[in-house]
Amino acid sequence: MGEKELIQELRQGNEPAFRWLVETYRNRVFHTVLNILQDSKEAEDAAQETFIQVFESVGSFKEESSLSTWIYRIATRKALDKIRRRRTRQKLHKILPWWMPEEKKSADETFHHPGIVAENKEKATVLFKAIESLPEKQKLAFTLIKVQGMNYEETCEVMQQNIKAVESLISRAKVNLQKQLEDYYKTLK
Amino acid sequence: MERKSTPLVDEHLQNILGMQEAATDDFFYTRLKARMEKEKPQQGWSFPLKPVWVVSTLVLLLAVNGIMLAQQFKAKKSTTTASSSSLQNFAESYDQSILLSY
Repeated sequence: MGEKELIQELRQGNEPAFRWLVETYRNRVFHTVLNILQDSKEAEDAAQETFIQVFESVGSFKEESSLSTWIYRIATRKALDKIRRRRTRQKLHKILPWWMPEEKKSADETFHHPGIVAENKEKATVLFKAIESLPEKQKLAFTLIKVQGMNYEETCEVMQQNIKAVESLISRAKVNLQKQLEDYYKTLK
Repeated sequence: MERKSTPLVDEHLQNILGMQEAATDDFFYTRLKARMEKEKPQQGWSFPLKPVWVVSTLVLLLAVNGIMLAQQFKAKKSTTTASSSSLQNFAESYDQSILLSY
């Protein structure tokens, strides 16, 4: 099925077309949001919300970018929204620790990516922990390009930034990560 | 643009090279459809339970209460003034004087 045809079918509310879209993109979307969120439950939730929004707003999709770029854009926005909400919850938990006791548990949990082989898990976990504390845009650019392997062109389209801005974000993210990793290994000595 | 040397980052990135794509299970679509059915807008009116609506309603109710109280207080004050002046007029018409003390 061609992309134009698929979009047309989706606009008409065709369920088999929607199912085909979900089955085609579910793993890619889940992988993207999991890399950003570093939490399987939240990633599943964000992936579902992405497809719900695709279904609901395909009528207003202007086709200025490819369908996959549009889906990635929605997915990254959903993931960033979840991170913002998570940070708010963590701040609230600091003020009122008896409220939302689950928050401490989730903040203390270490993320182990399911797609990484056992012998690389330790260093990957340290890297993911460092990425977690990067500013939002640096985190997104670094995750999409360096972790996920997305090319610069598509990342620019997903983030709606120009190439220079994305390069600058990656450069700053690497400097910040280097500093964090140095600090981490200093504390281990 | 990536000028500064970041050896530790590069070393750690080597560990995620060739990372497999994380996958959802085969029931993802079933769960998604169930959620979509559940979240379908309900027929008829129901009170919006989003925090923003609840807080706005509370603020509105408090504001209405405040206005009502203020008006009641104003009305009470003007009634007291009116009743004391009418009493004075009545006394004067009989060449009497009245001593009001509050």
